[in-house]
Amino acid sequence: MKLLEYEAKNILREYGIPVPPGIVITGKDQLENTEGLSDELAFKAQLEIGGRGKAGGILFGKRRDASRIAQDLFSRTIRGFRVERILVEKRLSIEQEYYLSVMVDRSSREPLILFALSGGVDIETLAQEQPEAIHKIHIPSLLTEVPPFAMRGLLRGAPKEIAPLVQKLYRVFRERDTILAEINPLAVTPEGIVAADAKLIIDDNALPRQGITQDRDLTPREREAEKYGFSYVELEGSIGVIGNGAGLTMATLDLIAVKGGKAANFLDVGGGADQERVMRAVRLVAGMPSVRVILVNLLGGITRCDDVARGVIEAGVPQSIVTRLAGTNEEEGKRILKGHGYEMYDTMEEAVHAAVEEAR
Amino acid sequence: MIYGDRSCGILVTGATGKQGAFHIPLMNAYAHRVGGQGVTAGVTPGKQGQKVDGIPVYDSAKDALRAHDIQAGVIFVPSGGAADSVMELADAGLPLIITITEHIPVHDTLNALAYARIRGSTVIGPNCPGLLSPGEIKLGIIPDHLASRGRVGVVSRSGTLTYEVVHELTRAGIGQSTIVGIGGDPVIGQTFVDVLARFEEDPLTDVVVMIGEVGGSLEEEGAISTELPLVAYIAGITAPPEKRMGHAGAIVEGGSGDARSKIENLRAMGIPVASRPSEIPDLIRGLL
Repeated sequence: MKLLEYEAKNILREYGIPVPPGIVITGKDQLENTEGLSDELAFKAQLEIGGRGKAGGILFGKRRDASRIAQDLFSRTIRGFRVERILVEKRLSIEQEYYLSVMVDRSSREPLILFALSGGVDIETLAQEQPEAIHKIHIPSLLTEVPPFAMRGLLRGAPKEIAPLVQKLYRVFRERDTILAEINPLAVTPEGIVAADAKLIIDDNALPRQGITQDRDLTPREREAEKYGFSYVELEGSIGVIGNGAGLTMATLDLIAVKGGKAANFLDVGGGADQERVMRAVRLVAGMPSVRVILVNLLGGITRCDDVARGVIEAGVPQSIVTRLAGTNEEEGKRILKGHGYEMYDTMEEAVHAAVEEAR
Repeated sequence: MIYGDRSCGILVTGATGKQGAFHIPLMNAYAHRVGGQGVTAGVTPGKQGQKVDGIPVYDSAKDALRAHDIQAGVIFVPSGGAADSVMELADAGLPLIITITEHIPVHDTLNALAYARIRGSTVIGPNCPGLLSPGEIKLGIIPDHLASRGRVGVVSRSGTLTYEVVHELTRAGIGQSTIVGIGGDPVIGQTFVDVLARFEEDPLTDVVVMIGEVGGSLEEEGAISTELPLVAYIAGITAPPEKRMGHAGAIVEGGSGDARSKIENLRAMGIPVASRPSEIPDLIRGLL
């Protein structure tokens, strides 16, 4: 889960990484709280998306114009997102920008620290045109801090004062279960070096132990899906899709598209789906008004086909259901479904074909 | 057989849990059919003296290894304790550790893999279905009745999609040498590169099917690393674009990691990429 900028900066501040003085507001009536920040202010929309500066999500201005500027920003919709929170900060006078991040590197299976002497929005262009300008250091996972030699290599050409900030960001990365901790730019200002912008992405598997609950705006169906631990995304078509495993469910959606159909959703019931969960999944998908036919494509590994079959029957939904079951306890699952007159196919190809035809 | 054969004794951790107790009998039934050792011991702390499917359960991996000849471990421990279980098995000296468990926090995985590397253990997973060498050994949860013995290797980041492809191969009369699910997590022990290197050394494998997904660049790295003839399938053409991991993701992983760019990259290397699972058998015949 990606934290908003102000949430990320609160964590950095907790670890002793300097951030610009600032205050979060949810309405322009709270602007009085920004007194004392500075006469020159930055107004930064707090959004989950990146690239908001170029999309008009950051405005600058004087304190006496704060009300007008805040109202302007609150009235904007930036790439589909309404501005509900603004981080009002002292406007920085930046002398130099660096790029600093720590991420989980899939290829080496180790934390990877990146540093560049020129940060800012064009860092990706720099990475393409001058890859050697991005300094990269892998840190063996069992180390709790960055060794001095690695720090020297990472920060060659940069002021020494950055080293403790790298050390602190590495601690944030490890202790807060982040998969990405990024400061861009890390800005040199007359008052010192500060994290002008910050991005923290927390590992979804670690949210419970980090005490983070996601309170996103969910539709009732999405809330239901979350309750049962389904991966669930609503799409535009008329074929409801239930699969087990992200790969197989994705492949099912792909095959529907190849055959000229349109999926209404992506629903991965996960491993070890039992009768109750399958029943819930079928009812959930059937609840979408656009769904004309439901395709249940399940291959049992941890999932047992007999459980699945009983769940499909228990759901008792009005739409027709095309099923394809294979794997553990397959024969029993097939027997149960046939006994209740459900369409059963042996292959994904046949089942998808039938669902696409039926939805026409 | 690229990771073990029928003579390999198997230890299961999380043996008395729901998944462990369900899959131990399935692994043993398979071992019985092919004349293998199967699961010879289980581990669940505090449950020493119990039995699962007739197999003795021990408090620790070291206790189990003192009493049994064991070369591989399969972990069904829930996510909170699974990384610890990897380290326990590595410390006990097991050369091969299959981690079935999903939802392990990635920092726990990083630590466990680093620990296992120091102890010299090979880790497959986490969040994987394990491996199956048809006619030899089943380590994990791959539904064995879908598989058949032959000379095509299968390596996949997915679980159930792997079964789908194996099912298609078997239906088309194409048997498999070994099927390896490397796991769907961002950080995994054995990657495509490692498994393909094993297949390259394997006299029983002629060609390999590589099944990938959106995200990262492990498929491209695997394809570059091997001389073996490959057929690929990448799921997720219709998936909504993966949320990008800041600038860092783009800098390190280059392209966007979406299915289309992966497919283009693989085709540019001359690798046939199936547009659906049922095309895979024909593409393989084209290479044999």
